[in-house]
Amino acid sequence: MKHELFPWLILFLPIFAAATITLFTLRSRCCSAFLSIGAIVAGFILSILFIHANGIHFAGEISKTWLSIGNLQIDFGLKLDALSMMMLLIVTGVGGAIHIYSVGYMHEDAGFSRFFAKLSLFTFSMLGIVLANNFIEMFIFWELVGVSSYLLIGFWFEKPSAGDAAKKAFIVNRLGDFGFLLGILMIWGILGSLNFAALQNSITANPVALGTAATIAGLLIFCGAVGKSAQFPLHVWLPDAMEGPTPVSALIHAATMVAAGVYMLCRIFFLLNADALHVIAYIGGFTALLAALIAVQQNDIKRIIAYSTLSQLGYMVMAVGLNGPTAAMFHLTTHAFFKALLFLAAGSVIIGMHHEQDIWHMGNLRKKMPITFWTFLIGALALSGIPPFAGFYSKDSILAQCLEQKNYLLFGVAIFIAGLTAFYTFRLFFVVFTGKEKTDHAKHAHESPLVMTLPLVVLAVFAAVGGFIGITNNYGSQFVADHETLSVAQQFLEPLHTPVPMLIGIGVALIGIFIAFSLYKNATSDPLPAKLGGLATAMKNKFYFDELYEATFVRAHDFIAAVMDWIDRWLLEGFSIGLVRGGTDLTGRALRLLQTGNLQTYAFLFVLGMAVVLWLVLK
Amino acid sequence: MNSSLIALEICVLALGTVLLLADFWMPVERKKFLAYFAAIALGGLLLAGFSDSSFCQTFGTAFNGAFVEDAMALFFKRFFLVAAILVLFVTAEFSDKIAAGISEYYSLIIFALAGMLFAASANDFVMLFVSIELITVTFYVLVSFQRAKLTSLEAGVKYLIIGALSSAFMVFGIALIWGTTGKMNFTELAAVASQFLDNKIFLIGVLFLLAGLGFKIAAVPFQIWAPDVYQGAPTPTTTFLAIGSKAAGFVLLLRVLFAAIPAVAEQWRDFLIIISGITILYGNLCALPQRNLKRLFGYSSISHAGYLLLGVAAVSATGQSAVMYYLAGYLFTVVATFIVIVLVMQNLETEDISGLAGLNQRSPILAATMTLAMASLAGVPPLAGFFGKFLLLKAVIGQGIATSNHGYYCLVFTALAGVLISFYYYFGVIRAIYWSKEAKDLSPIQLSGAAKLAITICIAGIVWIGIFPNTILNLADEAAKSLGI
Repeated sequence: MKHELFPWLILFLPIFAAATITLFTLRSRCCSAFLSIGAIVAGFILSILFIHANGIHFAGEISKTWLSIGNLQIDFGLKLDALSMMMLLIVTGVGGAIHIYSVGYMHEDAGFSRFFAKLSLFTFSMLGIVLANNFIEMFIFWELVGVSSYLLIGFWFEKPSAGDAAKKAFIVNRLGDFGFLLGILMIWGILGSLNFAALQNSITANPVALGTAATIAGLLIFCGAVGKSAQFPLHVWLPDAMEGPTPVSALIHAATMVAAGVYMLCRIFFLLNADALHVIAYIGGFTALLAALIAVQQNDIKRIIAYSTLSQLGYMVMAVGLNGPTAAMFHLTTHAFFKALLFLAAGSVIIGMHHEQDIWHMGNLRKKMPITFWTFLIGALALSGIPPFAGFYSKDSILAQCLEQKNYLLFGVAIFIAGLTAFYTFRLFFVVFTGKEKTDHAKHAHESPLVMTLPLVVLAVFAAVGGFIGITNNYGSQFVADHETLSVAQQFLEPLHTPVPMLIGIGVALIGIFIAFSLYKNATSDPLPAKLGGLATAMKNKFYFDELYEATFVRAHDFIAAVMDWIDRWLLEGFSIGLVRGGTDLTGRALRLLQTGNLQTYAFLFVLGMAVVLWLVLK
Repeated sequence: MNSSLIALEICVLALGTVLLLADFWMPVERKKFLAYFAAIALGGLLLAGFSDSSFCQTFGTAFNGAFVEDAMALFFKRFFLVAAILVLFVTAEFSDKIAAGISEYYSLIIFALAGMLFAASANDFVMLFVSIELITVTFYVLVSFQRAKLTSLEAGVKYLIIGALSSAFMVFGIALIWGTTGKMNFTELAAVASQFLDNKIFLIGVLFLLAGLGFKIAAVPFQIWAPDVYQGAPTPTTTFLAIGSKAAGFVLLLRVLFAAIPAVAEQWRDFLIIISGITILYGNLCALPQRNLKRLFGYSSISHAGYLLLGVAAVSATGQSAVMYYLAGYLFTVVATFIVIVLVMQNLETEDISGLAGLNQRSPILAATMTLAMASLAGVPPLAGFFGKFLLLKAVIGQGIATSNHGYYCLVFTALAGVLISFYYYFGVIRAIYWSKEAKDLSPIQLSGAAKLAITICIAGIVWIGIFPNTILNLADEAAKSLGI
């Protein structure tokens, strides 16, 4: 391996930046932004240099023993293969663009430096997940990502809603992580190892090594992904997480962190057996459908995109479950481009609209914000799956995967979702960018500064061409043994090999866009509720999942908590601890009396002590 | 005799003399900076010891076997050098309060350091006594250095009289040992000690000697001086007392017990267990009601002597290396604690915990340092204090299994109870920093570059030793091997 130092630098530069900012440069906005952006951009450059030197199809790991207790040895290692190196590029590349964008977006915020410190902390944690070569290391970074997400969602902690959203995200994630941890322990208990390469070897050597526990272990590990990638039934935290600043939504809650669940599933794909994959596919499909339906009736620009993220994550998880990790990772990558783009463009709109987020207060921003308009359009086309944009290719590979697995139910669901996606995306697009200005703010909107529009343009380029620049080649080698490398032209025409899903996919997307066009081209209010009636209300209220959880889990939890509180307060604190504490305190006070301050007493005690010692030893 | 064996000691003594001479020519306002000069010189010696294999790394004996240079001596010499360097930094920050005779203060620190270096190499009772007296006599002066302050003088007198008492016991003990066995040299004594296990006079001699060492490390029942002296002494002296003097006591204790009279140590497991347990409990319980910071750390230092005695009571190589590892972590933690106290209390009359109120606003870095130090003292992972306690307890449990002596298990529970109690008062300090409402003065604290450097070194030490224990642990294991148990 060449440049063995680079991966370490890539991983540790951001935490160095975070520490330096927190300790020294909180008062200097300029230094803070420079450190944070410098760390991630340097990471991006080093990643490119590393891949250039070693080749993308290189596979290896660097590890140092971190601790060894008995026969448990835990390494701190970096796993470098096509999968992790591509993720490195995504995290540092897309992340870098978002870091730069943040300079403009957070410009007026008092917590500017704090924001960058947390952003760097997040980058470090995310890179840790990507590079981890064993389960324990991955779990540690997994939790660190949870913490940094908590900190960033609650960045404007003076707003109660932001604080609540941060708590919700953290607690819901912890539920999933609990299952994840159980899964890790189970794997360790049965296979006796935590290193991915070692696990893969033992599974390859003996495919039934996990025995009957295979399904349970696989599903427990999937729990981690359910939490982090916001799959049903733990999907409720992601929309609320939009309380954080928009760059955070773009970076963490669209491009990288929520993708960590999908990435993790691909990383440990060899551990999942057919039954587990089956469950995973249906959970993914259901989440995708549910979120797409909810997105149709949301009015907050960020929430619409958030539900769309949920839906696309469901797509990826479904692809994993359908035995298609390549398709899943492909979609993850293109999604990172166009979803980050959509969020950043939405952020640009929000700034241009003076922090207005309701789409029914906007309108006709096409003229006022041309760059935002064009880049958003590219993102929307990519998300809807219109060729030749990136989303078309990755979505098509998932649809083809459905057919290849002969799962016609999920194929139908996926097609339906594709139509819905195009519909709600262009609903948002037409309401915000065309028609008439609906408020004064919309009339006085202005384009954002260059530092914000430049990242938009860069991301738009990738959202446009990401489908045929070799991404599948890179992932393919990871999962398929005899993968053949395709040239750009071959990739460009790849969907033609499976014309059925391609044509249906394009068809429903166009239908979705057309319906959106006819309904919302000049609409000043939403015509849909009148047409759909009760269904629209249910969609608008997110199918009442929050209320359902509130009435069942939260209420039950509150009851248990009240009982525990009583036991803790009266039995433990009052009775048990009270006695022990009081006793200890009293002894302390009594012993203090020994210390009279009188020298004669001291000398006497010294000699007395000597006498006692003599008696004790020589008696 | 190979004179290069004591090259380091000679250099240090020369440095002390140079400091005294420099006092004549140095303008008053610049004298403060002599500390940095001394610290750099010591740092040079330390680096030379690491880089050049011939400088203080040749193992052997000198003065007819009275002076030994081995892995343990080397470990402790490096330890003392680092301790002295850091204490010099603390002193430089404190120098305004000792305006008169500051360069004498520096040179006294250097002379005490020389005593400690000799103690690390002591291999017979004469060398032991001389080195201990060199340390103790220097400390009499260091403790009472703030002549204008009544508490400092009082502390000095107390330290002097109790110290003299313990020295008397020690000399008497040495005399009895010599009288019964006819041996002064540890190596020679080890060969014959097992014949004297039933000789009460010999055992009384050993106990008297241990009383003297018990005074140095502040173990029960010879701990009574510690709180008063820690409180009254100038803070840099307290710092040096808490690390240097205590570590010197421990290196001698390890040498005497395991190099000179291993047979006796083997027999006295129960006695060592009792002393260790009581010391832990006494230190922690008495610290509970304290409000004065320095007094609090006086008691805390007693309890840490107890923890360190865990490793001694284990009577095993793992126990000894755990002691050395723990001391290394303790060094950075204590210096971090006291440098914060010096910086915060500079302009305050009080040394009360309440003086820390609002520190997180006055200087976040000092608040963080103090928090980290408290967490390490209490034993929170992944800091040095946690791993040290882990190793000590592991050694004790290992011995409990090996010897099936139930006393060891009782000792583990006592130690854990002690740790539990200590959390209360250590976190009381943290609470005062972040959540106290009593803050009156919220002016920012300006830190000099040197102070920042010292703080950074301490933080790095606390974290590094805790997360990457191997380097220090390997050195400590190597050192424990030279004791031969």
